[in-house]
Amino acid sequence: MSAPVRDTDVPAIDIHDLRKSYGAVTALDGLDLQVGQGEVHGFLGPNGAGKSTTIRILLGLLRSDGGRARLLGADPWRDAVDLHRRLAYVPGDVELWPNLTGGEAIDLLSRLRGGADHARRDELCQRFDLDPTKKGRTYSKGNRQKVALIAALASDADLLLLDEPTAGLDPLMEAVFQSCIRESKEAGRTVLLSSHILAQVEVLADRISIIRQGRVVETGSLAQLRHLTRTSVTIQTERPTAALADLPGVHALRVEGEQVTFDVDGPHVAAVVKALGELDVRAMTAHPPTLEQLLLRHYGDELSPRNAEVA
Amino acid sequence: MSTATEPRRRTAVAASSRRGALTGTGTLLRFMLRRDRVRFPAWTLGLAAFMGYFVTALQQVYATPEDIRAIAPLMRGPMGALFGGPGYGMDDPRLEHLLAGLYGVYILLGAGLMSLLTVVRHTRTEEHSGRAELIRSNVVGRHAQLTAALVLTTGMNLVVVGLIGAVMTGQGFDTAGSWLFAVGVGAVGLSFAGVAATTAQLSEYPRAAAGAAGAALGGAFALRALGDMTSEHGNALSWLSPIGWAQQTAPYVLDRWWPLAISVAFAILTAALGYTLSTRRDLAAGLVPPRPGPSRAAPWLRSPLALAWRLQRAQLVGWSLALAVGGGAYGAFTGPALDVFDDAPEELLVVMGGTENITSGFLGVLALTFGVTVAVYAVLAAQTARAEEASGRAEPVLATAVSRQRWLGTHLGVVALGSLWLLLVSGLATGIGAGLSVGNGSLVGEMVLATVVFAPAVWVVLAVAALLYGVAPRAMPVVWAVVGYGLVVGFFGPLLDLPDAALWLSPFEHVGDYPSDAVSGVGLMVLTLLAVAMAAAGLRAFRRRDVLGTG
Repeated sequence: MSAPVRDTDVPAIDIHDLRKSYGAVTALDGLDLQVGQGEVHGFLGPNGAGKSTTIRILLGLLRSDGGRARLLGADPWRDAVDLHRRLAYVPGDVELWPNLTGGEAIDLLSRLRGGADHARRDELCQRFDLDPTKKGRTYSKGNRQKVALIAALASDADLLLLDEPTAGLDPLMEAVFQSCIRESKEAGRTVLLSSHILAQVEVLADRISIIRQGRVVETGSLAQLRHLTRTSVTIQTERPTAALADLPGVHALRVEGEQVTFDVDGPHVAAVVKALGELDVRAMTAHPPTLEQLLLRHYGDELSPRNAEVA
Repeated sequence: MSTATEPRRRTAVAASSRRGALTGTGTLLRFMLRRDRVRFPAWTLGLAAFMGYFVTALQQVYATPEDIRAIAPLMRGPMGALFGGPGYGMDDPRLEHLLAGLYGVYILLGAGLMSLLTVVRHTRTEEHSGRAELIRSNVVGRHAQLTAALVLTTGMNLVVVGLIGAVMTGQGFDTAGSWLFAVGVGAVGLSFAGVAATTAQLSEYPRAAAGAAGAALGGAFALRALGDMTSEHGNALSWLSPIGWAQQTAPYVLDRWWPLAISVAFAILTAALGYTLSTRRDLAAGLVPPRPGPSRAAPWLRSPLALAWRLQRAQLVGWSLALAVGGGAYGAFTGPALDVFDDAPEELLVVMGGTENITSGFLGVLALTFGVTVAVYAVLAAQTARAEEASGRAEPVLATAVSRQRWLGTHLGVVALGSLWLLLVSGLATGIGAGLSVGNGSLVGEMVLATVVFAPAVWVVLAVAALLYGVAPRAMPVVWAVVGYGLVVGFFGPLLDLPDAALWLSPFEHVGDYPSDAVSGVGLMVLTLLAVAMAAAGLRAFRRRDVLGTG
């Protein structure tokens, strides 16, 4: 068994042409993914696109049908146990033992990985506002997720594999989660963060890969992906706004009384903001596109992929 | 909305809410029948078939009135009281007396179990899963769910009464006695439906609700056993038990109906208590609040082996207690049994291994019984691994530095050692019971050896389960066929004159026939090696397959 290489030149995750099917259903159809060490990588895709399948192959829980996957320079299937000492995983749907308390589950998972920092564990329990004395069966979905998150974050793993880790958390806890991920990044850890909500990974990720129907269709830094983003803007003004429609990069302009709504391509936002300065705008909202809008616009996706049941 | 209509509307709502505690009961009942479309006939027909089986089996074993008379002293004694009933009609028993007075108690227990499980299933389980919240937010009254569950359970019991009455009268037994017995079965069912209606209110958890009602059922059995053993036809203790009331009707002997009035009153009172308690708690909450546990794991909980032990501990403790009690009771049967076997029918003695040394034969049958019982434990415990995987709890563990082989291997190891322990417990308890009953201390050692030698056979069953789990987890229940086959061959092989090849296939036939014959050292070795090989193959296969996802 080859020992995992501890070399900063080796990418943390290196996947090439990965394939996996469940019977007749194709989950991964030639997936490529590279994540450098120390990087926070957003792994974005609609439900059923193959995010969990990819992560479970990286954990050696599933065997790929073809292609190549390397994790920290080692084979995730063959070297699973050695690799698992260096990573921590949070599943998308956390199940706990009904008779064990949350605290017992955290300790058990930490110890099975090779020990954790007690002080850090207690601090995380406080920050996430988790009562560790409750039995597993009494926790809500969000609290079960916190148990798995605390067990993962309290470890000194080099790599965090997080599968939709905030799906059950409220906005307050999501903020705690974000600061924890930033701390992990500062500590030099690599994080793979899967989600189906663009805004969730946008604030944390250095780079983003978008997966659709078992393939990565876009990958790069947020700046590089700017061409994909189109900001939706709503303003209120009494001035005439017809000129806006002629500006480059402005789409789908609609006027309803004093309210004007339109979309702007990423590279043209600056010019549009200048133009708005002349219009005596009284109120304005601008929000980034959702992943669904993005995929719909660029790939004309039917948003119920053929194999939605393979999460 | 105008202010003038508001007061009137409010009164209307108030009035209908008083009437409406039962609103929706009919719809819920139809829904429950739809959900139980398999379970309902399975339980009711199953109980009737069980009764039918008793009738045919006893007709075979006790072909003539002389055969029955020969067994009568045994049935009249404390053992008959412990495992049967108060012994009405045992002075000169006919077949129907044995059926209603001895074997009938298992039908009574079955009806009680059916009723309490049905009530808990449609009340507390629904609340715990959160489905009840969805239902109750609809136009459904506060008491509709419990009422529908009780109506459904009453319906099941009525069907059971009809079927069992038909089975008994169909055999030409006295009509009044047959129907009295059948109605007694239903009365026990209703009593425990009421008990479950109460226990379902106490705790948040369906398991605790069913467990408490099940404990009451066990307690009722034990109470009447104590009463029936200490006095002829029972005493006050028997009359404290819902099972006792049904048995005290003495079908085919006294044919008295009035004890069933107590059953009905008991069922009504316990159900009423359930309704009252349910109004004192919130939906999905229990009357007994959940207790917090430790915020840190115990220092020893740090390896896959410790986790496997922690997950199986409760199950193993429960089985140990049950086997210790059961072993002691069966062992105590040895003395009275020996007195009776002198005149017992030939067929019975064949099962016991012939007339040569009846003590050894009897103890051998007990040892086989415990061997098969512990195999049942091993299969159930092995399924823990599958449940862990299917629920998604195995995944985070396998994502730590725990290899698949270690995870599954430690589970299997705990079950293998647990099986050995349970065989030891049952052998020890049986040996002590037998030793006391016959006044021969050497039986303890003999009995311990007789049960413990079944360990390799149990391990083979466990290894078959492990192999199936590794290769095709969905096919794991197939292992029950091995247990069932061992049971049939072990108990009925001698009666059925099965060919050697058929006997050879059962792992339970290769340990020797101790204490009648010597322990087969070669047999034990081969079984152990076979178990190790199959378990290793199972571990290898588990390493090579995908871990099941929850999605």
